[in-house]
Amino acid sequence: MWARWIVPALLGLVSFVTAKSSSGNSVLVILEPKLDKDNFSKFFSGLEEKGYELTFRAPKDTKPAILEYDYAQFSHVIMFAPETKSFSSDITPQSLVSLLSKNTNLLIALSPKQTPVYTLASEFSLTLPPPGTPLISHFPQRDDPATVIPVPVRPVTPNVVSSKLAPVWFSGIPFAYQNNPLLVPILNAPAESFASDGETDSGADAVVDAADKGGEGLWAGSQMGLVAGFQPVGGARATWVGGVEMFSDEFFQKELPGGGKPGNEQFAADVAAWTFQESLVLRIDSVEHHRVNETVPGQVYTTNDQLVFSAYLSKYNPVSSAWEPFSGIQDMQLEFTMLDPHIRTALPPVRGTPGKYSVTFRAPDRHGVFKFIIDYKRKGLTHLHSSTVVPLVPPRHDGYPRFLSAAWPYYVGAISTSVGFLLFSALWLAGDDRAGSAKGKTTKTE
Amino acid sequence: MAPSKTSQPTQSNAVLSLWKAYNENTSTRLKSVDAFLVFLMLSGIAQFLYCILVTNYPFNAFLAGFASCVGQFVLTASLRAQVNPQNRSEFKEVSPERAFADFALGSIVLHFFVYNFLG
Amino acid sequence: MTATTAYQVPANLSPTTVANTSSLLRIVALALISGAAIASRLFAVINFESIIHEFDPWFNYRATKVLASEGFYAFWNWFDPTAWYPLGRVVGGTIYPGLMATSGVIYSALRAVHLPVDIRNICVLLAPGFSALTAWATYMFTKEMKDESAGLLAAAFIGIVPGYISRSVAGSYDNEAIAIFLLMFTFFAWIKAMKTGSAFFGTIAALFYFYMVAAWGGYAFITNMIPLHALALILMGRYSSRLYVGYSSWYAVGTLASMQVPFVGFQPVRTSEHMAALGVFGLLQIIAFAELVRSHVSSKQFQTLLFASVIGLGLLGTAAIVGLTYKGWIAPWTGRFYSLWDTGYAKKYIPIIASVSEHQPTAWPSFFMDLQFLIFLFPAGVILCFKQLRDEHVFVIIYAIVASYFAGVMVRLMLTLTPVVCVTAAIAFSTLLDTYLNPEEPEAIDEAPKPEASTSAVAPDTSSAPTKKQKKAAPPPAGSTLAELVTKAPGTSKRKTGVFGLDTRLLVVANAIGMLVFFVWHCTWVTSNAYSSPSVVLASSNPDGSQHIIDDFREAYYWLRQNTAEDAVVMSWWDYGYQIAGMADRPTLVDNNTWNNTHIATVGKAMSSSEEVAYPILRKHDVDYVLVIFGGLIGYSGDDINKFLWMVRIAQGVWPDEIQEPNYFTRTGEYRVDDQAPQTMKDSLMYKMSYYRFAELFGGNQPTDRVRGQQVPKTGPTLDYLDEAFTSENWIVRIYQVKKEDPLGRDLKTANAFEQGKKRKRTKPSPRRKAIA
Repeated sequence: MWARWIVPALLGLVSFVTAKSSSGNSVLVILEPKLDKDNFSKFFSGLEEKGYELTFRAPKDTKPAILEYDYAQFSHVIMFAPETKSFSSDITPQSLVSLLSKNTNLLIALSPKQTPVYTLASEFSLTLPPPGTPLISHFPQRDDPATVIPVPVRPVTPNVVSSKLAPVWFSGIPFAYQNNPLLVPILNAPAESFASDGETDSGADAVVDAADKGGEGLWAGSQMGLVAGFQPVGGARATWVGGVEMFSDEFFQKELPGGGKPGNEQFAADVAAWTFQESLVLRIDSVEHHRVNETVPGQVYTTNDQLVFSAYLSKYNPVSSAWEPFSGIQDMQLEFTMLDPHIRTALPPVRGTPGKYSVTFRAPDRHGVFKFIIDYKRKGLTHLHSSTVVPLVPPRHDGYPRFLSAAWPYYVGAISTSVGFLLFSALWLAGDDRAGSAKGKTTKTE
Repeated sequence: MAPSKTSQPTQSNAVLSLWKAYNENTSTRLKSVDAFLVFLMLSGIAQFLYCILVTNYPFNAFLAGFASCVGQFVLTASLRAQVNPQNRSEFKEVSPERAFADFALGSIVLHFFVYNFLG
Repeated sequence: MTATTAYQVPANLSPTTVANTSSLLRIVALALISGAAIASRLFAVINFESIIHEFDPWFNYRATKVLASEGFYAFWNWFDPTAWYPLGRVVGGTIYPGLMATSGVIYSALRAVHLPVDIRNICVLLAPGFSALTAWATYMFTKEMKDESAGLLAAAFIGIVPGYISRSVAGSYDNEAIAIFLLMFTFFAWIKAMKTGSAFFGTIAALFYFYMVAAWGGYAFITNMIPLHALALILMGRYSSRLYVGYSSWYAVGTLASMQVPFVGFQPVRTSEHMAALGVFGLLQIIAFAELVRSHVSSKQFQTLLFASVIGLGLLGTAAIVGLTYKGWIAPWTGRFYSLWDTGYAKKYIPIIASVSEHQPTAWPSFFMDLQFLIFLFPAGVILCFKQLRDEHVFVIIYAIVASYFAGVMVRLMLTLTPVVCVTAAIAFSTLLDTYLNPEEPEAIDEAPKPEASTSAVAPDTSSAPTKKQKKAAPPPAGSTLAELVTKAPGTSKRKTGVFGLDTRLLVVANAIGMLVFFVWHCTWVTSNAYSSPSVVLASSNPDGSQHIIDDFREAYYWLRQNTAEDAVVMSWWDYGYQIAGMADRPTLVDNNTWNNTHIATVGKAMSSSEEVAYPILRKHDVDYVLVIFGGLIGYSGDDINKFLWMVRIAQGVWPDEIQEPNYFTRTGEYRVDDQAPQTMKDSLMYKMSYYRFAELFGGNQPTDRVRGQQVPKTGPTLDYLDEAFTSENWIVRIYQVKKEDPLGRDLKTANAFEQGKKRKRTKPSPRRKAIA
């Protein structure tokens, strides 16, 4: 009899700690042999506590493969192989890009050494510094080498990492952003840092020269990024981290120069949560359209109809690992487009119905094949895109107003003509005195 | 001066003589036809003036009404021409009865199109 | 004194027997002519299959299917969202519904008697059926001109003449299929109305005119021919009440009826093409009124005043029309009709009209090919009309002159010339046979000349030789003079002129029959060889002589139909739009309706620009597949590379800054596709799609383009933004799929380079503002 309550209790216990991703639980960690798994035990155990299943392999192992027969085998891939120069055949820059199209999330760590991963970074609109130039900062004063830097966490993209985090320890390379709207900067370098040759500081002159040239080739300042996310078309997410030590136990516990624990643990958890599509994940559950006063969507609409368009949005709640209706977006727009938007209107949330966004508008006067387009892109949030095609037809031949008052003289004229014709014919036939009798008709003699 | 003065009375004389000749020479049947013709003409002119002066918005209604008058007018005028005994030599194949039948048929077809086009 | 006859004629037959026999023979002759007309149009159905031909008929067929399956009101209000994507096409208001309505009525009628004929077969066989009716209508028309025997000749001629067959073979489901019948019948009804002065025939003419307006855009021809005829009669001083009755009843009822067709709408009172009819109508009213008043007044002064006022009113009316045209209330002549007068107009201003192959001027040989010996009987017939010059002959003369001009301007308008050529040639031929078959011989002694015998009726049966069976016709029947001869007592008619002896008669008649035999032979040969190809299916012969069918078009369209999403949008040049819509059932961007020049120019710009420029256009229009026709492998010369310059010209008309035609020629001004082709040409999407992987077929040898006769470079073009989706068996149709945007937001050329393993150049962080030292 205790079996009756043990299962729900266990389930409740499990759900209390699980925060699963919206896109799956299987994680492949490609860990290079130089790095010890135990050095990252806190990070990995944190992931496992959340409910992820981690599988470890070395870069040169052939199994488990990330892609088999063009199917992605894992939902997420963590690449902590920043110094590996050769990988097994299934890990190539091209296959990693193709993973993103298959809704697999990537977390990739870089290092000052040049590896095949370098070519991949430039496809993500990240410019990497010359090999052997890690990030160096002489501020704040600390005992650690110049390449180990406490980076203050400023919210470049809101909501990706928790606010008010303590500075995080970082060791690795920076990268420069090119112009790509799909990039999501998460952590930028401190203003006083620069990239240069390891210990000798010999690159400082190059930095000064670059500063004089107007910033071309300047690897310095807070314009450089250390942790950057990328949101490809399709919903998957990729994050590039400038150095793998950020996730190590040592950095999780290292004390900051000004005292206090660093924010690495929380930061790493947040980055992993964002990358693995736990946080800031939205989706459009459904859209519907119909005329005002109707509920069934029409096959076609007529010009100048009053149309109602509704969208239902959900946000993924990692705590309860469920999709919940979300009404928090205030600036969503709807476009009614035929080659160019003919109507662009706000799509506000409806009070009282969580998750529903609705708007009523008048269809334009132009007939054609239109699309209801929702195209909502914000950095960090899943890109929302919905396109529904609907034809807009001109009024039917009996859809026009009839019996116009302005036309009454014409109606009178036409009717009077007909009446006149009938009267005239009657008179003619009745007054046919000449040949009427011969034809046998009854005649009235005049 | 002199010619204009004399032409004035000759003109009015001409009109009067025309009217007299018309009255005497046409049968009652033809006169009823003429009356119908005059009515149609007035109706058509009225519609045309309305169209020009006020509005031509339901243009199809204007066309239908106006075409109704014009069509009926020409059909009636054709009937008149065919029935007129003076024109017997021209219309060898069309007896007056046939003429009326043609007129009726044409008018019915015309009215059908008029009401289809009217609204 | 008895009149001698060259050969024996039976004597003392009663008139009714003769009349009955001749009418029976006429009916049999007409039936055989109809049979021949229908049979000679069936070559394509027998050689290939019952399929809709060409391009335009595919759209008519689709529209008819909608009508048959969904009913008349759905068809009337039909908005097609798959044509001219994404603009859509309001079909109900932009077509001439007569053809579809006719098929729909026949379909419903057959179903009502429980004969469920498939709508496709009705559409395919509609044209031959109506050609039989055209033969009958031409018979009636020519009977009014001369007599029944000339009528039968005219019916036989128009039944098999290639000029008409070209547009009415089985499978050519186009407006002309029923329009020529309606044309001839409307003209017949008009002539009857004018001859008898009956409003009944005027109403019939108006009703068939309405049917014609609903059926074909060429109705403007009738709209201007009949007023021209009436005006000519007035100017010749032949005004009569009959003319008034006929014309007025036709105009009043017909114009109102023609406005019921939504596509025509208010044009009859708003455009210049219809002003002639309105002007003549007004003129007739004025003249009729003047005549009426004149009959009541004898005073000469009043008459001259009246005369002056008539002229004045006429001039005033003309001035009003001209003024309204100038002000813009009356639209000037539209481009399609204006280009008939000013032949250079279209090439400069409306390249789409100029580019249609049917709109090119007619070459001399096509007159002979389409009409054979009728074309040189045609002037003889016109002169014979001048000799008689009754009112109806004036009509034929005017029709002949106007149609000759138009046929010389555009190949397509040979069709309007063909009926009048058949009629006049029949008149001439019939007159010849009359003279030489008339058995009466003239008096050798000088006597008082007797009136010439009235028209005799001889009609040799030329309705022979349908396709394969060589049936010979019945011997020529007797005619009316002979009828008189055999019924009257001998000795009543004596002649001064005539032909002596039997030998001359035999010689001439045999020669005439020989010419008719050649005519039939020529018509059948031309029909079977030149005008019976469905153009969807091509045929060529193998080295051993057997037929080799090239079915690439259907293969590709059916691939599209079975392998693409139902709402996948296909872009191709406008020639193939209707076929893609009909056979592949997919939305198209542009089609043969060519109503939106900017949309066509957009497609032209996409085809003639480089991939980078074309790709945003393709994505904006949601294009999923691009289709090109390439004939370089088997030598099919109607392919898109040959039409490419028209695409450039049309695009240049809208974007003169971005597309310039000289860029696509070599420096010496040649149009080349080999290694001398200019870079713009080699980069253009059309070139790349046509020659993509073409060199691989030749296995290392020099690839040759069989149509242009040039050698294409061995390294073919590369495509970054398109994927090859399908190429048909003989490489005639090539379909490419448009790639979606890159997931990483790169342009596809760089993405492709990455996929192939090429490394990017190292970049540096971009410059910012200079740091203040």
